[in-house]
Order: sequence, then C-alpha cells, then structure tokens
Amino acid sequence: MRRADPRIRDLAGRLIALEATGSQSPSMTIPAAFAACEKLRRPLATLLGNVGFGALLSRALALATSEVKWLGVVHVDAGGVLEGLAGPQATISPAESARGGVVLLAQLLGLLATFLGGDLTLRLVREVWPKLDVDSAVFVKGSAK
Amino acid sequence: MKNKTRAAQSLLARVAPKVEIAKLPTGVRGLDDILGGGIPEFSFNIIAGAPGTGKTTMAHQIMFANATAKAPALYFTALGEPALKMLRYQQQFTFFDAAKVSKAVRFVNLSALVLEGDLDAVLAEITEQVTAINPSIVVVDSFRSVMRNMAITGEMAMQSFIQRLTQFLTSWHATTFLIGEYGEEETRGNPLFTVVDGLFWLSQKVERNSVVRKLQILKARGVASVPGLHTVRIGEGGVQAFSRTLGFGRSADKPTRRRRLSMGIPELDKMMGGGVLEGDSLLIAGPSGTGKSALATQFIAAGLRNGEPGIMAIFEERPQGYTARADSFGLNLKTPQAKGKLEIVYLRPLDLSVDETMQEILDAVERVGAKRLVIDSLVSLEMALAPGFREDFRESLYRMIVALTGAGVTILSTVEVEDSFTGFSFSHYTISFLTDDIIRLRYVEIDGQLRKVMVVIKMRGGNHSKDIREYVITDKGVVVIRPRSTEYDGLTTGIPTRTGPRPPQGDEAAPEPKARK
Repeated sequence: MRRADPRIRDLAGRLIALEATGSQSPSMTIPAAFAACEKLRRPLATLLGNVGFGALLSRALALATSEVKWLGVVHVDAGGVLEGLAGPQATISPAESARGGVVLLAQLLGLLATFLGGDLTLRLVREVWPKLDVDSAVFVKGSAK
Repeated sequence: MKNKTRAAQSLLARVAPKVEIAKLPTGVRGLDDILGGGIPEFSFNIIAGAPGTGKTTMAHQIMFANATAKAPALYFTALGEPALKMLRYQQQFTFFDAAKVSKAVRFVNLSALVLEGDLDAVLAEITEQVTAINPSIVVVDSFRSVMRNMAITGEMAMQSFIQRLTQFLTSWHATTFLIGEYGEEETRGNPLFTVVDGLFWLSQKVERNSVVRKLQILKARGVASVPGLHTVRIGEGGVQAFSRTLGFGRSADKPTRRRRLSMGIPELDKMMGGGVLEGDSLLIAGPSGTGKSALATQFIAAGLRNGEPGIMAIFEERPQGYTARADSFGLNLKTPQAKGKLEIVYLRPLDLSVDETMQEILDAVERVGAKRLVIDSLVSLEMALAPGFREDFRESLYRMIVALTGAGVTILSTVEVEDSFTGFSFSHYTISFLTDDIIRLRYVEIDGQLRKVMVVIKMRGGNHSKDIREYVITDKGVVVIRPRSTEYDGLTTGIPTRTGPRPPQGDEAAPEPKARK
C-alpha cells in the first residue's frame, strides 16, 4: 500500500478546508474533496483528455481505497468525474468521511507529483487555488522536517 | 507609355516594398544556421520521421524558445505519446522551462475527438482553442494519427480539412508544426506535403552497433536552407544539429603578411625557414614512439610563451598524460590551463560524430581565442567515430581545417604511420592535400641503434631545409642533435648504407630519459 506523503496529506486537508469554506456542516467535507478533484479535472482533462484524467483518478481512488475502505463504493465515470457518493455519506462518521476525502485528494496529488514532477504539480495547485499559500517543498522528496 | 509604366512600378516599389519574412529562432543549436537564419514566421511545417528520431523534442525546443505569456504556444496532442509521459520526459531536457507551462506553453488533448473520426469536430476544437488563446506557435502531435482518418473520411474530406486548417492557422498569425511518423513513400501525392511550407525529415540509421541520426530539410519556402543530410544528436539540451557546412561561415581570408611561428625546437624552426607560417596546417607523420605528441606539446607551449592561446584536441591519451609529459620537459601547461589560455579537449565517447567533434573544437577555439590547435591524432579521431561517420571523415576534416586556418589558427595534426623499410609514406590517408606543411619522423638503423630522424617534406608557404636530421627525445623534449649526415645513403628507407668512414664507436649511454628507466 502506498500511503500519501504526510505533507501532501496536509496540503490536501487544507485544500478541502478551503473548498468547504462557507459550508457549516462537517459532512460537507466529502463533497468538498470531490469539488477539489473536480477543480483539478478541468485543467488536467485539457492536458490529458477526459480518459487520461479518469485513468489517473481511478488509480488514486484504488490507492486511497486500500487505506480507507468505504471509498470502495465510489467510482470514476467515463468523463473522469467521481460518482457513488450518496450511499456512504449517511452511514459513516464525519471523521472517517473527512479522512477519505483527504486520502483520495492526497493520492491524486501524489500521482501528479510522481508523473509530472513536483515543480509542475506545485504550479498546477497554485494556479487552481491562487489564494492558498503552498510551501514549495511540499512535493520535494525527502525534504520533510 | 513605357515611362508611365516605369514610374508606376517605381511608385509601387516605394509604396509597397516586398514583404519581409521574419525568422523565428528554433532553439535547436545548429538548426538556425541550416535554415538560413530560422523558421519563417507564419509558416506551416511538418516535422516527420521514424519513432525515436527526436520529432517531439525538436517541437518542444521550438515552442519553449519562442513562447511567451503574450505570444503563447499551443500544443495539441492526438493519440501520440500520452501527454503525461511526454511532459515527464521532456522536462528532463535543459530547455524545458516549467515556469512557462500553462501560461506561455499550453497543452490541449484532442485524442477523444480524433478517435471519434470527426474531422469537423477536430477542426472546430482547434479553431476554438486558437481563437481563445491566440497562440504564435501551434503544434499538432501526432498529425499522422489525424490523417489515419483518411480511410474513413475519404481523400477529399481530408484535403478539405488540411486546406481549412492551413488557411485558418496562417490567417491567425500562427507558425505551425505538424508532427508525424511518415514513411518516405507517403510524401508522394499526399496533399499535406504539397501544402506545407517546410518539411523537416529526421531519420536514424543503424550501422554495425552504432546509430547515426540525420536531419534533412526537404522543403523550406522563404529561406535559403542548407541542402543535404545533417548530423543530429539528442543530448541533455535536446536536439542539436550539425550543419554539413559547419565552420564554413566563419572562414576568412588568411592575412597577407603572415608571421613565422616557433615550433619550440630551435633547430626545427631553422629547418622550416624560421618556423611554421601562421594559419598553416602542419602534419606530423611518424610511427609510434617517434615523439609526435612530444613535438605537439612543444608547439603548443611555444605558442603559450608567445601569448598565443591554444587547444589540444586529443582522442587517445588522457589529459593528465599530456600535462605530465609537459612537466617532464619543463613545460608548464597547468598554469595556462587554469588561466583559460589552454584547453585540452579530450573526446573519446562511443559513436562520436565528426561534426560533433568539429563543433567541440570550434567552440573551444572560440572560448579561449586559440591561435594554435593540436589534433592528436587523426588516426585515433577516426577510430573514435561511429562507423557511419568514417566515410565523411576526410570531407569534415577538410571543412574544419579550411575554416580554422582561414581564421588564422595554426593547426598541427599528428598521424601515425607504419615504418616500412622499403617505402616512405606520409600517411595511410590521402590527407596531404589538406596540409600546407608536412614533417616526417621515422626510425633508421645506424651503427647498431634504432635512431630517429626527421625531414621537412613540404612547406607550401616557402623554402625549407632538405636535410634529414637526427633527433632525440630528452628531458627538454624533442631535440635535433646533429647536422645532416653525409656518411649514409638510403636514410629514408630506414636501412641506410654507409658511404663514409666508420668513426670509432664508444659505449654511448642511451640519450633518452625513458630509455634509462
């Protein structure tokens, strides 16, 4: 099982929090995680095509599911969009739900860093979330303090 | 009536001067020279060739060299190398500037539309993106995969698509590159190849265990490109091209009044009528162990003492060996090296191309402002070349020598020849025509010793001594020791016949330091 780097998890958590801003309910963390993936989908589908982005997201989902079991009911459609959220939201705890969202987004960011490199991934994140202050070392291997 | 026509033409010439075609830099070292300055702006080009020849890399170099946030580049990918992998690999090259990605350089994936086979939809997407982004450079990679639709859509539909695409992109002030894995047979009767302004053909050929990459500009409207096959190398900086005429652009007339330069061996200078003429190409030919490299070292050191920077291009012995030999002769090469007055260029990779070697040497000559150049030796240079390049060896050597001597650089090349004891060859190569001056070193058997003699065979720029002189290699280097001998006939055969009296022979210590070891 490939666990996402703790710094990338931390970044994923911050991105989800940013997406959830305005929402009062903790259960909004899952839609916020999905919204973050959707925000990444737009530039990445232009670059990779919907099929290419869908393949990457499916891999991220597979890696995340090995860590957070309830994500097994979620799937990626042909357009590269996450589906199957409605069922688990009612049965899982808010904490578990939040963890699932963070792990999934962290795995997706980790895959991008693996394939595109830290520099391009960082630029992409900064472009999508220009207001977020992102540490430039977050995607640098072995630079964790 | 005639006068009126002339006046109208003159007015037209003043009002509407002929269109000036701006040229874009390619970012590919050597390619601008081949293209006569660069790629014509707003041209429609194909970069074609077999897989692995560097098409995508070349397109990326052109794109990164020209793209800015105000005049971005748009890279459409279509069923070729997946964009994820393409970016992964391309960023390994030094020209890749991550800061340009997404602002100055944008990637758009057309794969889904191409798979659907709807050319109108493909054109509509390209049109929409180009209209929105207003790029100065457009790349479609791979256009070959778009063309595969021809079987479904028919030739006329494809021709119409190509026409509309060309007209749209040209009108939109974009310089376009279509990338494709085409075979040469596909160029015949293909409407695409008729329409395009530029056709860059990349190829690679396997010869024995070596791969030789070549570039040919099959078509280039609006520029005077250099015809023929040019060597290409893909390195950390991306694609680099070496023009067939590499070096010729820098050639200039030799100065009319040329100085005589010291060889660093006073007696040899006398034999040469005062030294080698500045800007000459001098060949030192001799068998192994006769001191060719020693002589070359003394030649370079003499130049350095006289304030003339130098380059030693060596292909066999390592640089440390050269500096150590110089030390043993009391010649300090390390200080001039440290001061940037001397570079020892050691070239011994596998599959070396002669054009690359030339480029390395020309670059080094330019860096240090070299006045003297040593190539030690031509035999090992040829051996270091990939087999496919050996055929071009003489032609390339000729180009380099003409270019450098034309610029006033004095070249000393060494060549190893086998001593036959019946003949007196200068070289295995027919290269003497490349040289202005030739000095031949050889072994002769005299009085029970294998001694060394030298003779100046040819000096194009003037008279020279005809004497055959004995020399030794001492801790001062090559030293000419005796006046010409009149006691022997047949010295050039290596087995002379004594014609004079035999002087008494003492027990002579071996004169050479390495013989004492």
